[in-house]
Amino acid sequence: MTAESTTREINVDYLARVEGEGAMYLNLDGDEIVDLQFSIFEPPRFYEAFLRGRKHSEAPDITSRICGICPIAYQMSSINAMEFAAGAQVHPQIRALRRMLYAGEWIESHTLHVYMLHAPDFLGYESAIEIAQDLPDVVTNALRLKKLGNSVMTLIGGREIHPINMRVGGFYRTPTRKELDTLVEELEWALEMSEETVRLVAGFDFPDFEMPFEYVALRHPDEYAITDGRIVSTEGLDIDVAEWRDHFEEIHVERANALHCRLKDRGTYHVGPMARFTLNHDKLTPRARAIADEVGLEKGERNPFKSIIVRSVELVLACEEILRLISEYERPPEPWIAVEPASAVGHGASEAPRGTLYHRYEIDGEGLIADAQIVPPTSQNQRSIEADLNEFVAPRTQMDDETLKWQLEQAIRNYDPCISCATHFLDLTIERAD
Amino acid sequence: MTARPIVIGVGNPDRGDDGAGIAVVQGLADLTTHVVAAGSLDLFELWDARDSVVVVDAMRSGADPGTVRTFDVSTAPLPEETFASTHSFGPAIGIELARALGRMPAHIEVIGIEAGDFTTGADMSPAVAGAVEEVQRRFENA
Repeated sequence: MTAESTTREINVDYLARVEGEGAMYLNLDGDEIVDLQFSIFEPPRFYEAFLRGRKHSEAPDITSRICGICPIAYQMSSINAMEFAAGAQVHPQIRALRRMLYAGEWIESHTLHVYMLHAPDFLGYESAIEIAQDLPDVVTNALRLKKLGNSVMTLIGGREIHPINMRVGGFYRTPTRKELDTLVEELEWALEMSEETVRLVAGFDFPDFEMPFEYVALRHPDEYAITDGRIVSTEGLDIDVAEWRDHFEEIHVERANALHCRLKDRGTYHVGPMARFTLNHDKLTPRARAIADEVGLEKGERNPFKSIIVRSVELVLACEEILRLISEYERPPEPWIAVEPASAVGHGASEAPRGTLYHRYEIDGEGLIADAQIVPPTSQNQRSIEADLNEFVAPRTQMDDETLKWQLEQAIRNYDPCISCATHFLDLTIERAD
Repeated sequence: MTARPIVIGVGNPDRGDDGAGIAVVQGLADLTTHVVAAGSLDLFELWDARDSVVVVDAMRSGADPGTVRTFDVSTAPLPEETFASTHSFGPAIGIELARALGRMPAHIEVIGIEAGDFTTGADMSPAVAGAVEEVQRRFENA
């Protein structure tokens, strides 16, 4: 690089009062990429340390605080791990309530991303505020959809932010069928609105771009996996969650001060809606499958810009599943079962809105957590995002910084990197050798 | 300060000084208060057209930690970069979305408390804790 390089710091638009916690750094020499790094802030590291010495039953409440957007995911993966360690099996209706609650979180998170973050890029708006000015009905409906997700979480989870009702072994209190029935009318509206959402976003213009990575997701024999399942991949991986460490590893990346995940045999992989859709296509609910077919979204889709369609199809699926589970619901005999801690290692995974979330706990003889490992989806995707951005930037290096920045923001948004854990603090730096 | 406002505290209590807004409302026993810990997008769900609203949040404006500033946002937007949230969408976006959708209350102001330390798991810094008490006294004396 020549001596007179200029550094320009550009902030991504939904960001940043704490600098350096998440960053995209791009160094260009002429049209050549010298270096590209994408890194995120990783609050789980703090919580892993904080969990040591705490009771096994405290893990759901503590880990739910990691993310304001996906607290249910953190609760669920930790509960799965604790129940695995104790060999506990919960009542099928407890599992159904967990699936409903989790689907509520998908609705809230996916609506937020589809309408408020991702759609403005395709519609040519700077932000959701501009959409609200021009298309107030679209934003009003989006907020109503998001609110329904919140209502599901409040009714079953106890409260919307950092829900408190779910516990190891079940729930502190289970809702009555009558209480759940109050959601039905709004869910039926939401189901149709979600189908309209799929039609709307499928009509956007998508740049030609494909990500080549191995897709990894949970898979369940009876349903589109959300709360639990085996870990499968497009390269034939099919393992129990307890085998995670045999096949995956976190490696420390010095320059980024972060842990990157890789498949031990094959390296970079990708988790999230795109992976779920392809690996569980045969488990789509009837209306989700019909709408995917209608808009031509196929199993094996690899254009990350089309993740907005996949998230919208998952909105349809989430509404359908909550409606089905309510119609089949019978209040379980006990809200929770006692799960006695055993000196054991517990593994748990679930499908957070952004992808597989893996937890591992070592429990000692007194039921205290001796060691905790939390692997969130965004850090698993860090390598694939970085590799994708490299591919994406290569033919665009001649663009001026502002245009390039705008395009990169859009590309980053494809992956919905966890808002609170990641992009809020995203600094985008482009450095060019003059 | 307008009499009997609805007070909304925004922030993340697990991130040091970012907990300032929530700490303020937790000390206000006699007023209608709300805590917004993740996402201020549908802030307008918390008020009606006739209400007077005060939003309290941590800010980053470059001033000394603990500095308190008040912004009347009834007619003009908040400086967005000063209040970008650690969680989802900050109150600046929530307020502008309300404005765009015609869902603003009769009067709304934002009290910003300058934050210095956002360390995960840390307590509020002394300067910010002092500012929290100062803002609480404003409500008690109103």
